[in-house]
Amino acid sequence: MRIIVCIKQVPGTNEVKIDPDTNTIIRENVPAIINPFDTYAIEEAVRIKERAGAEVYGLSMGIPAAAEMLKEAISLRIDKGILMTDRKFAGADTLATSYALSKGIEKIGEFDLIICGKQATDGDTAQVGPSLAGALGIAYATDISKIVEIKPDKMHCLKITDDGYEEIEIKLPALITVVKEINMPGLPSIKSMKAATNSKIEILTFEDINADENRLGLKGSPTQVRKTFVPVHEANNEMIEGTLDEKAGKLSEILLKLRTEVK
Amino acid sequence: MDNNTFIKMYGEYLRDESRQVGNAESIAFPKTEAEIISTVKEMSRKDIQITTQGARTGLAASAVPYKGHIINLSKMNKVTGARYDEEKDSFFLTVQPGVLLSELRKYISNKSFNANNWDEQSVNALKYMEKNQWFYSTDPTETSASMGGIASCNASGAKSYRYGSAREHITGLRVVLADGDVLNIKRGQYIADGDSKFHIATESGREIKGQLPKYKMPDVRKNTSGYYNMPGMDMIDLFIGSDGTLGIISEIEIELSKTQKVNWGVTIFMPDEDKAVDLVRALRQEITVDNINLELNPSAIEFFSHNALCMLRDQQKTNAAFSNIQEIKDIYHTAVYIEIESDSNDEVWTEIEKLGDVINGLGGNEDETWVAYNPANLEKLHYFRHACPECVNMQIDNIKKTDNRITKLGTDMSVPDNKLKDAMKMYNEGIEENNLTAVIFGHIGNNHLHVNIIPQNMSEYKKGKELFLIWAGKIAAMGGAVSAEHGVGKLKVPFLKKMYNEEELNEMRKLKKLFDPAQIFNRGTIFEFEEDVK
Amino acid sequence: MASIDIIKDKCVGCRRCVGACPFGAIEIVEKKAAIKDACTLCGSCVESCKFNAINFARDETVKHDLSEYKGIWVFAEQRYGKLKTVSLELLGKAGELSAQLNVSVTAILLGHGIDNLADELIACGADEVLLMDDDRLNDFNDHVYGEAIIDLIGEYKPEIVLVGATSKGRSLAPHISSALKTGLTADCTALGIDIESKLLVQTRPAFGGNLMAEIICPNNRPQMATVRPKVFKPLEPDYNRKGKITKIKKQPAEGLVKLVRNIDNAEGLTLSDAEIIVSVGRGMGSAKNIRLAKELADVLGGALGSSRPVVDMGWMPYSQQVGQTGKTVAPKIYIACGISGAIQHLAGLADIDTIIAVNQDPDAPIFKVADYGIVGDVNEILPALIEKLKKSAK
Repeated sequence: MRIIVCIKQVPGTNEVKIDPDTNTIIRENVPAIINPFDTYAIEEAVRIKERAGAEVYGLSMGIPAAAEMLKEAISLRIDKGILMTDRKFAGADTLATSYALSKGIEKIGEFDLIICGKQATDGDTAQVGPSLAGALGIAYATDISKIVEIKPDKMHCLKITDDGYEEIEIKLPALITVVKEINMPGLPSIKSMKAATNSKIEILTFEDINADENRLGLKGSPTQVRKTFVPVHEANNEMIEGTLDEKAGKLSEILLKLRTEVK
Repeated sequence: MDNNTFIKMYGEYLRDESRQVGNAESIAFPKTEAEIISTVKEMSRKDIQITTQGARTGLAASAVPYKGHIINLSKMNKVTGARYDEEKDSFFLTVQPGVLLSELRKYISNKSFNANNWDEQSVNALKYMEKNQWFYSTDPTETSASMGGIASCNASGAKSYRYGSAREHITGLRVVLADGDVLNIKRGQYIADGDSKFHIATESGREIKGQLPKYKMPDVRKNTSGYYNMPGMDMIDLFIGSDGTLGIISEIEIELSKTQKVNWGVTIFMPDEDKAVDLVRALRQEITVDNINLELNPSAIEFFSHNALCMLRDQQKTNAAFSNIQEIKDIYHTAVYIEIESDSNDEVWTEIEKLGDVINGLGGNEDETWVAYNPANLEKLHYFRHACPECVNMQIDNIKKTDNRITKLGTDMSVPDNKLKDAMKMYNEGIEENNLTAVIFGHIGNNHLHVNIIPQNMSEYKKGKELFLIWAGKIAAMGGAVSAEHGVGKLKVPFLKKMYNEEELNEMRKLKKLFDPAQIFNRGTIFEFEEDVK
Repeated sequence: MASIDIIKDKCVGCRRCVGACPFGAIEIVEKKAAIKDACTLCGSCVESCKFNAINFARDETVKHDLSEYKGIWVFAEQRYGKLKTVSLELLGKAGELSAQLNVSVTAILLGHGIDNLADELIACGADEVLLMDDDRLNDFNDHVYGEAIIDLIGEYKPEIVLVGATSKGRSLAPHISSALKTGLTADCTALGIDIESKLLVQTRPAFGGNLMAEIICPNNRPQMATVRPKVFKPLEPDYNRKGKITKIKKQPAEGLVKLVRNIDNAEGLTLSDAEIIVSVGRGMGSAKNIRLAKELADVLGGALGSSRPVVDMGWMPYSQQVGQTGKTVAPKIYIACGISGAIQHLAGLADIDTIIAVNQDPDAPIFKVADYGIVGDVNEILPALIEKLKKSAK
């Protein structure tokens, strides 16, 4: 069995400081990390490998420096890291990203399962997983919280929804996106870190994949950012002071008033 | 106020984390040193005994009063000044005894102090703090401990393997004596001479002269069993770890350490206990494996016994509170945890690679390790470490429902390096012979393990207590210390008797009387007086 | 190829763009900005430059004939024969947008035995309902629903397709947009029409809600968006409203994923539906104290949420976690009990009218975003508050 895990490098924090003069964002050079949701995807793939035997590939599209991140993924016990990097891939929205990934996966060849994190913390779109499944024409299910059983031709999962859970059966090959609840990612071992240090990340550029340039990167992205702005949530910032009884009294008045407005 | 009303209002001040309950007639919460002095003078005049308290997190009942008056220092909770030594590039803070460790850590990491009443020198010193990140290296697990308590029992913690105990970082003390006079001692100011004679001057100019006792302290890495005593010692060390028996600490100057850039943690699972101890010895550079020269210099070396891992594994399956610990595989037998601080990731990694080879060389498997090299992952390992005592407490709480006299039974003894295996053998045999349930974890780098007996009933509880006393005797015979970091307090008075004979204890009593002639401070702590025993 | 270039003559080395780059891809070399390899062509820097010194060269994209695309579609999500509120909210908004474009609003209703819902959709603003009733559509299924809608879009060619950002909507929409090779904007919190270009302007939070972005899809159709529940108000149902119901007779595709069974949450009120959420953090002290917050939520008729550490410690189930790795919520009132307010938690708070925070630590970041704050022990304040609320209820 071969499992491909899609991994994205994201900024370590979403904290945004605003320059009061220019009203633009100031972002310190925050360290890049593996998208937190992708760590659950990696762990789940590795668990399948340990349980049933599988070959786990990590696939990422990003800047050349993302190779280091893939090495980190190898320290988390995936077998191989593949990085798609080319200026032609840059500026991609979710459609162009999933198209490019689908071409990278075609290049890899056979696979049984693709696991993605539910979403990336820098974009929060949760669209690349389902879009990629669409581009590959395979079955998919989002928000998987448990893999109950996996067989060569199908798998049995729990999917978290707004209303609870769904127990589902998916035909393989398929793509799933996973939520935090699915597992507790383990730490690397000295052995797996040594493996990462000695590993070589395979690089795929535009030349290596059989893709239509018009569908890649900024050019292949239907959506455009027209402008960005800092949301204004003017907090009232009123501190309620007094004795315990006074505090509780004032807050209950505020709540009762607000609640009548809500209803 | 009659006694019932007192107990109703202030009952909580009659106990501490040892779960012992004492008795007292009155209590005061001084806010200044002057208030301590006037209370002490009044009590001395009336010949009323005083028990001093901080945050009451102690495990040896030092803060539990027998009778008389309680001086609770929780309201003296300010950082009162700062000092920078340019020559040594060292930074110092002056704190009141009621400052909590957790508060202090917050102030230091935020570099934010309420400096309204500070003198100019202190305010000026603050700007030197900006140059570096600093931290206070004494790290007892209980962060709601008070600084006065930490000084009084010479607390330590996991990182004492590298940084030493509280003693090593206290550079000044103010101590209120029984007559209301104050000692203001700086480290390096009063050193005992070659004949073990010493003298200390009080603020009012009185000279206190004395002779150090003859007893020898055990040659161990961690010890807080009775008064510190060493030829040519700095006299400030007598007061650190004296459990409040000589006076009341009203101010402490501590030295901060510089935070290093990177902090790694590694949990290593070894196939049996013997191999785990060998790994510890390799980490301490006592033995070499396959000619590998390991220079890891860990700040902490901790241990988790097989039973401790089994307990955690069981809890993990049933208790959601432990579900965020990664899977403890069945093949994991015994664990050693180390933490490394350094200024370079590359340097640490080079050593960790060697560590992997050492683990393999000892018959372990470098794949059976958890490595954390960033704060988020390190927190996972900390969570795992804290889960052990937490688990024990939860089980004790459950047993308490069947018999509320049962309390936690935990040892705090340390031995010299070459006796580590003997001590562990003794613990394991004792537990097995008495058919008790116990988990062992703690600071193995300092040969200091906490054996936690989980008694299932009152008879096991009694058996455990008896066993502890037997162990205290054997540990003393090995040249060990009966208390390594919690202090003797009142609970371990019988243990200390196994370490020192009556003559030696009398030397301690004599020393106490030199500073506290009427023995009003924390009577019954470290040792009893004959008249009390009767 | 598309590129971002610094016009050296205009650049003064002011560093504004360095700060604006989310990827740390700009540095100042010899007093001029320089774009490094890490650039993702996101365009954040272009706006930050006050000297027009950054040139964003987009490639000429392939033009499609867009003129035949007309009308606004709303996916009418239903479960157990009941419409999701967000679908009705979207119909209301679609009505506003359609007036500006002078087009009609169509609801897409898929399911089995749900004819009666078509009237409700018309009453809530649909001019037409495309109804597909089939046994295979009984349960929601990404593939079956997706393929059916792809077909319909190909046939009817709407210019805009709106889908509620529910768990099903967010799973379904990318399948459709991917097949149609068009743009999809996730989780929008505002929608508008640009008067000049007649384009749909889709506003969505970026970087955990710290930044808002306006997204357009100029060259592809339909323009697709998933939209957060509760940002728009549904119309008051008017059953006199006239509309057309068109039944689609087509055999839906076979599913690749089979629903074995539904395991619904026992509690009636979900976090995404709740108008009031009482949320608990580490400051509650212990698992048993959480009943206080539950009681407050019950008294107020709200739902119980939690911060991540509380879920990690096993005090609350993951389904109730609010924040970056949990759920994004948009109640009217959010009461944070013993929650410090780490950035990851705040990322889960969408458009909330009033945030109330109770925390022991006066420096807790939650107070910076709170409309009302109380410094104190939650375990003392909650019982007192519950008592007051109960009294005034009498």
